[in-house]
Amino acid sequence: MSSKSESKTEIAAVPGQVQRLAVFGPPLLLEGEDAAAYDELLARVCAAVKPADIIDEMFIADIVALEWEVLRWRRLKWTLMQETGLKALELFLVEQLESNYDALHEEHFKSYLTTILQNNLPTEQAGSAGTLAAECAPNNAEANEKLDEVLGSMGLEMNTVLDDARADKAKELAQGYVRGERDAVTLVNELLTDAGTSMDSFMTKALGDRIDKIERIDRLTAIAETRRNAALREIERRRAVLGETLRRSVREIEDDEFANGELVPELPPAEGKSAA
Amino acid sequence: MTSERKIRANRANARASTGPRTIRGRTRAARNALRHALSLPVCSIPALSGEVQALAREIAGPGANAETQELARRVAEAQIDLRRVRYARHQFLSDTLSKEYYGSYANSRKKLKVLRALLRPNPPDMSLDTLEFATSTPQGPDKLATILSGEAKKLLAMDRYERRALARRKFAIRAFDAARARTATTAGKCHAGLVKACSPAHG
Repeated sequence: MSSKSESKTEIAAVPGQVQRLAVFGPPLLLEGEDAAAYDELLARVCAAVKPADIIDEMFIADIVALEWEVLRWRRLKWTLMQETGLKALELFLVEQLESNYDALHEEHFKSYLTTILQNNLPTEQAGSAGTLAAECAPNNAEANEKLDEVLGSMGLEMNTVLDDARADKAKELAQGYVRGERDAVTLVNELLTDAGTSMDSFMTKALGDRIDKIERIDRLTAIAETRRNAALREIERRRAVLGETLRRSVREIEDDEFANGELVPELPPAEGKSAA
Repeated sequence: MTSERKIRANRANARASTGPRTIRGRTRAARNALRHALSLPVCSIPALSGEVQALAREIAGPGANAETQELARRVAEAQIDLRRVRYARHQFLSDTLSKEYYGSYANSRKKLKVLRALLRPNPPDMSLDTLEFATSTPQGPDKLATILSGEAKKLLAMDRYERRALARRKFAIRAFDAARARTATTAGKCHAGLVKACSPAHG
């Protein structure tokens, strides 16, 4: 396996070739795609294949464009599935927060409510927002009555605020889970296990919901992969043909010489060797 | 049966309806059926035929014989055609992605159905998901995926052009390589003959 520094040196040695490949058109990037990453891929493939002529360069341009497409479609599929899975996880977490309010949500709701009160209370009362939120946050009849009253005075509905707070916490937890934050991962895994479900089942549901789109992406990926592999095979075939031509030329020259019982005084350079 | 008077009136009307009259109008109408022009051969587009010739010269290399030049031209034509098809597909995807409110034809019809139902005097109860579907437009990766499945027919048509261009290029390259290999073999034999003729043993 070649080291990273070695491959970087190889890449640096082929900027001319990379520039030449511009003959085959600019990279076809979609909005938000990284042109530098495309150039790096092109340079890597150039360094690995070492094109012998312009036709090899054509194939390299093809391979890179197709590989870029393969990566694009794979990334799209993964993002789509993850997005849907994440949405399902968020819905699951909202339900869990609703049923386990005291254990999971009270603290978060207190801070969420404090922010709302700070933004909506008159300036002179804004300082007491924290105390008021602490009084309203517990899940009991007295606190609920107070919360209803406070929010009502600001033109807000208690249920809407509670729903928004749960959605906010669920989103925060789900994002933490995706980022691999230890606390979030442990909590989400515990909740999933307790409910007898798993992230895999959400992903399966995501696959079912978006099967049409995913099938289409898979098809595009397969087309791009097949074409990329065909281009690679063509490069191999050309190299083999070139090698065979060179071998045949050399053999014929040698045969002619040995048929006369003489040694070739000086082996002539075979045609096409420069192209190799 | 159509009356004589009606037939005369129809003919008179038809004579009056001759389409656009100005040059500008006629030019525009002539392009009505034009979709992507990918079925046009590359050599019939002046801007591209120049590129084909330049690329063919580079492929053939200096001192190429007529056969090699012709084969190189075929490779160049297929290559430029391939680039044109890919560019058209890319342009189509980019343009559609840049539309702020993209909705596939099928989705638009479904949304219209929901909205019509909602506008009735006694609208039916609808789930939140349905209402969300009717009022939302796909964004981000979902938008691209929606475009890919919504415009599958158009993309497939472009894909056919790409496949044909690829096949044409593959066979053109094989023919070109074979011709070059033949030339190389002949040149090798000539070289061997020359060496033999010039070697001291042959006086």
